[in-house]
Amino acid sequence: MTAPSERIAVRFTVNGRAVEHAVEARRSLADFLRDDLGLTGTHVGCEHGVCGACTVLVDGRSARSCLLFAAQLEGRSVITIEGLTPAEGLSPLQQAFRDHHGLQCGFCTPGMIATATELLAGAAAPSAEAIREAISGNLCMCTGYVNIVRAVEQAVAARAGRAGA
Amino acid sequence: MSDATPRGWVGRPLPLKEDARLVAGRGRFVDDLGRPHMLHAAMLRSPHAHARIVAVDTRAAEALPGVRAVLTGAEAAARSGPIRPLIPTTAGVPDYCLAVDRARYVGEPVAAVAAVDRATAEDALERIRVEYASLPAVVDPELALRPDAPLLYPELGTNVVWHDTLTYGAVDEAMARADGVLRERFAIQRYASTPLETFGVIAEYDPGTDVYELWTNDQRPGLTISVVAAALGVPQSRVHLACPDIGGAFGNKRRPAYLLICALLARQTGRPVKWIEDRIENLTALMHACNGIMDVELAYRADGTLLALSVRDIADEGKNLITPTQHNLIKLGNIANGYRIPAVRYEAWSVLTNKCPSGANRGIGKPFMCFAIERTMTLLARRLGIDPAELRLSNYVTAAEMPYTTPPGAQYDSGDYPATLRRALERFGYAARRAEQARARAANEDRLLGIGIATSVEPAGTNLASYEIITGRRSASGSAEAAMVRMEPDGQVRVALGDPPSGQGYETVVAQIVADELGLTPDAVTVDRGFDSTTTPWLYLSGNYSNKFSVTDVGAVVGAAARVRDKLLRLAAHRLEVAAADLELGSGAVAVRGAPDRRLTFAELARTAYADVLGLPPGEEPGLEARHAHQNPLARPMDAERRVRSQLVFANAAHCCLVEVDRRTGLVKILKHVVVHDCGRELNPLIVEGMVHGATTHGIGAALLEEVRYDEQGQLLTSTFMDYLKPTALDVPLFEVDRLEHPSPVTPLGAKGVGEGGAIPGPAAVANAVEDALAHLGVVVRSLPITPEQIWRWLR
Repeated sequence: MTAPSERIAVRFTVNGRAVEHAVEARRSLADFLRDDLGLTGTHVGCEHGVCGACTVLVDGRSARSCLLFAAQLEGRSVITIEGLTPAEGLSPLQQAFRDHHGLQCGFCTPGMIATATELLAGAAAPSAEAIREAISGNLCMCTGYVNIVRAVEQAVAARAGRAGA
Repeated sequence: MSDATPRGWVGRPLPLKEDARLVAGRGRFVDDLGRPHMLHAAMLRSPHAHARIVAVDTRAAEALPGVRAVLTGAEAAARSGPIRPLIPTTAGVPDYCLAVDRARYVGEPVAAVAAVDRATAEDALERIRVEYASLPAVVDPELALRPDAPLLYPELGTNVVWHDTLTYGAVDEAMARADGVLRERFAIQRYASTPLETFGVIAEYDPGTDVYELWTNDQRPGLTISVVAAALGVPQSRVHLACPDIGGAFGNKRRPAYLLICALLARQTGRPVKWIEDRIENLTALMHACNGIMDVELAYRADGTLLALSVRDIADEGKNLITPTQHNLIKLGNIANGYRIPAVRYEAWSVLTNKCPSGANRGIGKPFMCFAIERTMTLLARRLGIDPAELRLSNYVTAAEMPYTTPPGAQYDSGDYPATLRRALERFGYAARRAEQARARAANEDRLLGIGIATSVEPAGTNLASYEIITGRRSASGSAEAAMVRMEPDGQVRVALGDPPSGQGYETVVAQIVADELGLTPDAVTVDRGFDSTTTPWLYLSGNYSNKFSVTDVGAVVGAAARVRDKLLRLAAHRLEVAAADLELGSGAVAVRGAPDRRLTFAELARTAYADVLGLPPGEEPGLEARHAHQNPLARPMDAERRVRSQLVFANAAHCCLVEVDRRTGLVKILKHVVVHDCGRELNPLIVEGMVHGATTHGIGAALLEEVRYDEQGQLLTSTFMDYLKPTALDVPLFEVDRLEHPSPVTPLGAKGVGEGGAIPGPAAVANAVEDALAHLGVVVRSLPITPEQIWRWLR
């Protein structure tokens, strides 16, 4: 059996850049991103997979980085909020969150944006109900979700506008 | 900056400056910070609700490689003093940062470890051997009152921290001449707002200067600095405390014990020490809203006129020695809600039990006040056969009666409570909803529709003089905050405020306020993030609590900006050789009124103030920086009849809620929820509306989902978000929000409180709606949360 503190070599990409690390077997992806790579935009809210604050994209799918071990990610592609943010300015989704004030303290926001990014990558134009369903695994203690739903709706509409243009 | 700079930034729904960084994950929260050579702490917590600590053996933990220090309760008590309570009650027993000889709730910290990383620190906890002798626990507050109850502090001889009866007006006479008295008992559960970011601290000790440095998301830094310095035995000048971005607070983010533990470990190891609470620790041991029981007696005339209110209120403090009685006092101060009730009696019990300390949680006591009063009003309406809206409308304090003083001394400053409810009924489509409900009931549908109305006052600002009701003497009093406005040498502006925000958008709304005062754009105003005791002006009263932004903080900002503005005018008058009265500010410059080409830009004036100081008027001090502290003028000491304005400025709201109860599953779905509120002048409506949504969601959570549950032995049953349920996006409706705007006459810009909002009437509105759906089946809602299981039982 692998001891919790035993180190395991792992190679994967984070925001498109290759990382190669000997990680402790017990190191969560969230801790690895935050403490080893300094990507502190991924937040840790419960460490038991319920609140969704630590959500990142793994091979394009949303995943709880607190429930993954870094050592599990051999060969995978991880995208964090840092990778979802353009070098200059904000993405349309981020801009929509700002336009609608779809946040207050901002602690849940990176996870919300990761989840909404996955939703927007789907083909159909999701309804408000589908948006609520999609973000129902991400807790926000501040907003009551109303402005988050509005923000995602704006991003959906903007995407449709770009697709139609 | 163009000459066309529009004036009047206050009142605009300006998108938030801070949102731009937060949506990109560029916030800076305490767990994002680090210090060179930093250690990480972990805490060993009591598995017992009540136990004597017989022995603690830390040798095996200390021997673990990577462990740098282990701190026990006995060592903490030797190296630091007890934590000074905010409200000194008769419980004059020492309360140290770690349990010393007795643990009094599950999760109470017993020992702490500092190690090279968190995993090693947690490994070390498993090697600490604590010998406990378990004691009988008291969990139910009514049992805790009994003379034979197990005692948390045997030296006190009782678990009761405060018991008193306060009577305002002729209650007995009113009860005697009433046509009827409605008597009912209500209970509220423990719940917590659980900010998504947990509590955290980094502590560092500099032996060269004997300074402790603390980085923390503590939301009340002024008070905390004084408590921590006293316990560490150092002058307050040697405790530096800084708050970065705070990821939600809601009253929960305050625990000086954790700061002390880390400070002691930092001193012991000579290394910075970080501790970030995990969610289980947060749900187990940080802070819960007080659970409690209220016996309500409401005397009335047959026409529905309210004559007197008598309340017996038991507040379950858990092991709260810091702020006991707070929930009682705040209920007392707001007990009349928005109604004209001539006589009030309030019997308070504040009692200790073997549970997590109770403490501030969005609305402190007022959600229960509102639940009990608004449930009572609804039951009275049914008893009298009066529509629940009509009964409220006929008993409200009216706009013509403002300012109105309630029997316990609260002064309602402004607003139109009847108009607020009328607007809500109109937006809700009250008559149409009633008809829809009747149709559904006639058709005997599986869905049961219910309509709930609840209205509330929402006070802002706490007058600490109210503690005199408990202690009989005045220590702290009033409500105040401090701010600094500095026009930098380049003419741009920096602002600092003693209140560290936790999601309220101060970097934007304060910039809007200062922009208006100085005549520039919000882009030219940078508001410091968070709080830093070495640079931010602050008072003992400073902090992010009690809805106080509109009541004190705005005054501090306006006052400091006015001083800078006056100085700009004096400098410009001197340099342009005109009278200051002939000058005006605008577009980043001071110009002669009617001669706009005779002007000096702020940058030119700032250069005079900071660099070319020989150009200053005679006797004028160099620099362009001003501080101001604003004290809300409504605060007064307690009077001889023990009346006091415990809170200061009153917003109000009306909620109308339509629910559908599924009689097969007991599930409650909120179909429509209308909020009409009046927080006076809205400084930034985008922020205000967000607060209304969020606070109402807290109310819905308390009504339907959230409950901290303990078993009879005091074991916590809800220590994760799997057991402690929070509202998700599927649990809350699209709120419909409307507003009235009656500016407060007693705040600088006419704004009132808005942060607590729907957390106060929300639980009552939902409870009234659920009961309305089930009342024809004989159901009376007396407690929360209303779970599907509870409904299923009612229906069988």
